[in-house]
Amino acid sequence: MSIEHHPTDSMLAAFAAGTLDHGQHVAIATHLVYCSQCRSFMRSMEHVGGSVLTSLPPAAMSSDALAKIEARLNEPALPAAVYITPTVPETEVPRLPKFVRRYRFGNWKWIAPSVHLRPIILPYASDTRVFLLKSGPGTKMLEHTHTGIEMTCVLSGAFSQDGDHYGPGDFDLGDETVEHQPVVELGQDCVCLVAMQGELRLHGLLGRIMQPFVRL
Amino acid sequence: MASETGATTDRMQWGGLIRAIGTQQDRAAFASLFEYFAPRIKAFMQRSGASEAKAEELAQETMLAVWRKAGLFDPASTGAAAWIFTIARNLRIDAHRREHRGGVVETSDVEIEFQIDDSPQPDSRLAAMQSEERVRSALSKLSADQIRVVELSFFEEKAHAEIAKMLGIPLGTVKSRLRLAMSRLRTLLSELS
Repeated sequence: MSIEHHPTDSMLAAFAAGTLDHGQHVAIATHLVYCSQCRSFMRSMEHVGGSVLTSLPPAAMSSDALAKIEARLNEPALPAAVYITPTVPETEVPRLPKFVRRYRFGNWKWIAPSVHLRPIILPYASDTRVFLLKSGPGTKMLEHTHTGIEMTCVLSGAFSQDGDHYGPGDFDLGDETVEHQPVVELGQDCVCLVAMQGELRLHGLLGRIMQPFVRL
Repeated sequence: MASETGATTDRMQWGGLIRAIGTQQDRAAFASLFEYFAPRIKAFMQRSGASEAKAEELAQETMLAVWRKAGLFDPASTGAAAWIFTIARNLRIDAHRREHRGGVVETSDVEIEFQIDDSPQPDSRLAAMQSEERVRSALSKLSADQIRVVELSFFEEKAHAEIAKMLGIPLGTVKSRLRLAMSRLRTLLSELS
């Protein structure tokens, strides 16, 4: 099934410009693995970056700048980054970007009936926490809002939300103004990569009872 | 603003210079590229918040990386300026991380963070060539005004109000121009695919 839900153009532009927070970079990169349309939009933004370079008024380099670099041209390059075997095999987590599969993953932990969470430990400081969320078929997630931006990319399975279907590769953005109550579709577990800024706010009585225990 | 022909010639020249470095370690070609790009990379770094000294250092490092990676440059999949931009961008992110790690130097991972794993297909080279042309052709259909707001907003990270002031246009125009530019680009890219 084709991908229906995409990141905003601004997010893809910020990705190409290299100004996204690392956790959000991970979420967008995950969507890009699935979506050729957004990949070409993002690449076109890199071209805009190229045109920025060529259109900026030049800032004079010091007079010996070229000579200093020329003196270094024969230096051997630093060894290229050693490729570390992904800690998480592809079979276990479908289609995450390669660089993410090299990160350290925490253990799956139970957070609610048929809902499990597996933290991804980012190697760089980030305002955004990244984790995998696995929910059993038919799970109705608690109604919630966020105190910051939450990005979700479906990896396998599917959920529905407000009458829309979200399958593998689909991207969802939540913020403090959006009330979410996704329902996992029947048939199989739904695994999502989530990049979450701020805290989750659960609604309803059950949510208020659980809130102290569910610190996502 | 350079005429389209002028811009095309420049593009081809830069691509040719990078190839000359990649295939023959051509130092004269490197000097020409350096003369054009180093001061512009420095300006870009300064606008991204680097001090003058840091910006100069990052421009130097970017050009050194251009020399070392020139053999990997594929004109069919990337334009020369876009390619140099991505190297500069990655080094800027890397420098930022190092600063925030109290000077601990580690091997950079930034480059692979921008490699989106396309499943390798036999016709991937052809696809890359088509995508490069598509991107160029779509961008050439946007107006200079439209490109400018995109540049200012995302690459120079200016707030909309600041852009309005710089360009002497109302805030609402900045927002609508930005939105139009992005959606036009989306449409053009999908029409061309």
